[in-house]
Amino acid sequence: MSEEQKQAQPAAPAGGGAPPPRRSNGGPRREGGPGGPGGPGGPRRGGKRQYFRKKKVCKFCVEKSDFIDYKKAETLAPFVQERGKILPRRMTGTCSRHQRWLGVAIKRARNIALLPFSGSTPGAGSSAPHRFSDRGDRGGRGGDRGGERGGGDRGPERPVERPAEKAPEKAPEPPSEKS
Amino acid sequence: MEERLYDLIFICRPATPEEEVKKIIAAMEHACAEKGGKVEKTEQWGTRKLAYRVAKHREGYYVYMQVKTNHGDLIPEFERRLRVQDAVIKYMTVRLDEDLKRQQKLTRHREKRAARRPRRTPAAEQTAAAS
Repeated sequence: MSEEQKQAQPAAPAGGGAPPPRRSNGGPRREGGPGGPGGPGGPRRGGKRQYFRKKKVCKFCVEKSDFIDYKKAETLAPFVQERGKILPRRMTGTCSRHQRWLGVAIKRARNIALLPFSGSTPGAGSSAPHRFSDRGDRGGRGGDRGGERGGGDRGPERPVERPAEKAPEKAPEPPSEKS
Repeated sequence: MEERLYDLIFICRPATPEEEVKKIIAAMEHACAEKGGKVEKTEQWGTRKLAYRVAKHREGYYVYMQVKTNHGDLIPEFERRLRVQDAVIKYMTVRLDEDLKRQQKLTRHREKRAARRPRRTPAAEQTAAAS
């Protein structure tokens, strides 16, 4: 990783004056992309692409579904984190249209306790330890965020946590819904 | 007013006896008939784990109903009745007919498109014909 960055950085200013031959190589084009859960295939020297990435396809397009049912929580579960956040399209590969429907469906399922809102851990037993562990975790996350925000390093655990924070969760709720 | 389709889900306390759930369902059906609606479907999903705590319960007995009606004032009546029931801890009504209309339109469109180009997408046509 660091070796590539060293190579790429001198190449970028040179690109202003004359087009270097490196450019056609592709370069580490998608390096800044999200470290998806699938993980990059690793650098390949001498190839056209440095990272092999499987093309993601929209699951709902494959199934040719015209409607996403909020009642089937098990079909919605892969598009939600354990703590209940909606995964962004760049993680799941869902097309924009289906992502819109999916957002509505997930929000409906949340309202009727089929899916969690953010914050409820699945394996929590009684109330007191649950609350305690929740608070401890939140404190840890806050410190992490304040300390090393700008760094590009992503820890091996929770690889999806940070990109998902920017996920748009603003799909309009239909007005017919009442909880 | 055209006909509307509503989904009606409510969650009872897990300790509710079966007869009481049946009683609630019967009351809802009665209210529906009174207001000129029609119950299309009634399903009891049974006891399920809740994704979060509702009224200090971690499990709940889900009941699902689908209702067709011309009168919008049926829904406030439903919700009022569910609110006064002690056994019901959560309920939700969703209007579905517009979503279904969109779904039918898209399905029709898809079939038409598959029929127009039979050579290029034979597999798609087969699935469209089968479904």
